Amino acid sequence: MQPSIDVTAPPTTGGPSRRIFWIIPLALLGLPFFLNDYTQYIVNLILVYVLVGVGFNIVLGNLGQLAFANAAFYGIGAYATAILLYHYKVPLLLAIAAGSIAGGLAGALVCLPVLRGIRSFYLAIITLAFGELMRWVYINAETWTLGSMGLHVPRPVLFGWVLATEKQKFYLFLVIVTLIIAATSNLLRSRVGRAFMAIRDNELAAASMGVPTALYMVLAFAWSGFVVGTAGALYAVLVRQVSPEAFNLLELIVHFGIVVVGGLGSLAGSIVGAVALTMAPELLRDLPGYEELMIALMMILVLLFLPGGLATLLERATSLFRQTYYRD
Amino acid sequence: MIDPATASSSIARQLTLTGVSVGFGGLKALTGVSIDVRPGEVVAVIGPNGAGKTTLFNAITGFVPLAAGRITLGEERIDGLYPHDISARGIRRTFQNGGLCGHLTVLENILAGLHSEVRSSIVGTVLGLPNARRAEREAVARARSLLSLLDIGRLEQQQAGTLSGGQQRMVEILRAIATNPPLLLLDEPAVGLAPPVRIQLIEIIRRLAKTQNIGVLLIEHAIELVMGVSDRIVVLNYGEKIADDAPAAIRSNKAVLEAYLGHG
Repeated sequence: MQPSIDVTAPPTTGGPSRRIFWIIPLALLGLPFFLNDYTQYIVNLILVYVLVGVGFNIVLGNLGQLAFANAAFYGIGAYATAILLYHYKVPLLLAIAAGSIAGGLAGALVCLPVLRGIRSFYLAIITLAFGELMRWVYINAETWTLGSMGLHVPRPVLFGWVLATEKQKFYLFLVIVTLIIAATSNLLRSRVGRAFMAIRDNELAAASMGVPTALYMVLAFAWSGFVVGTAGALYAVLVRQVSPEAFNLLELIVHFGIVVVGGLGSLAGSIVGAVALTMAPELLRDLPGYEELMIALMMILVLLFLPGGLATLLERATSLFRQTYYRD
Repeated sequence: MIDPATASSSIARQLTLTGVSVGFGGLKALTGVSIDVRPGEVVAVIGPNGAGKTTLFNAITGFVPLAAGRITLGEERIDGLYPHDISARGIRRTFQNGGLCGHLTVLENILAGLHSEVRSSIVGTVLGLPNARRAEREAVARARSLLSLLDIGRLEQQQAGTLSGGQQRMVEILRAIATNPPLLLLDEPAVGLAPPVRIQLIEIIRRLAKTQNIGVLLIEHAIELVMGVSDRIVVLNYGEKIADDAPAAIRSNKAVLEAYLGHG
């Protein structure tokens, strides 16, 4: 009997439609009406960190590689965009795209040791070293980066419109972040995402299923770098000041925290993790001196009682948030 | 659309090993081994521990390089190709210690096995274009119909790592045959299974080989399973082939008895 396609196969598992995911960004369009300039800035920063988490999670959660060059991808994206805007007065969207692409190329570059068979702790230390090396580059490539002083990014202009307020930036950010999340979701719920996961769970088995593992590792790293590079580009536009200390080890720990608190390998988790870890310091601002303590406690408690991260809570609420790697 | 007529599989092809040798440093793991596996035939490889059985599989699937000899599938020489290229030509295997992706569901594991059959470009996938979505839907339908072959559709959404040993073996075998490969390599498929499940497994393997014209090469220690399932048995000892015959003849083969029982 040939395993032919059975037309009477059971229909899809049903359940609520994923279309509601488009309602979330649409609903957010109204958000600026409830915010002042400062809270709007925080929301924009959350959007930046959402991309940081989504991108980092691809390498860490989906591909399962202990690669910690995320702050470097972020910095490379931010510097590429800032340099183009500051020195060359390149149009805004082009400068952001350049930041994304620079991040993607950095991702592919960082993948080289992986292709040489370096894994786990050894990969971790190599990628950490790469991050610190990039900080040295930012400080010393003064012609472009202006050294430790940093670059002051000019006021962003989109098709002749000056994005003077945080609210105007918000709409640009929302569109970019939504498109990138949708693309990442498409990628993960396809044979590409399954190949990432197969490599993570069992590299030999993946190869014996016809997955060119080296190619897919480069792809995962490049996409991760692309997404995080975009985050860096948006950061440059948001803060308008790009300097080396913004991409240090402490920054990397925040990135790591977003992914793990949100939930390894969960797209929804990265988003929730970014919201939680970006908002927490703001909400705790009234407790000077206890801020760091509270954040550290929060991370410890979440991981003690929800080892799968905040994503576990979402999955319990509705199966919609369970990350699947196929689409019906 | 996954068309059985154009799938890599539909052409039955014979696997031929000619004088295959594999060495690890000074140690010779395989010496001049020649084996044929014809379409629809079940060939068992037996031998004491360290006889080179798993090395033989690793050589066929491209995980270890040959020191000498050649391996062909049909007319094509396949030794020296990358593992994923060999797999894409239709040689699929299971692993001794279980080769499932433990964090993926059963359905996702089967879909991963269909990797090379899902025709979608990266750009189409990222943009969610209709072509890519259709290829996905068809792969899902096909994965479901595969699960129904062994009547385990109800396990579809379960994480592979949480299944029982027997269920894991079934899913792994289904994943391996998902692309209708001309050749299936099973590394100790019955290890750790309860006796009734073993009998079920024998039936499944024979049914797959005969109905789908798949050549099966399997490593097994359980001698009663080997006798029941195989058309032919190849015996390895210290990396050399010492016998290649029908099960009944192997039972009375002197060299085999010596290798297993030692000199009297």
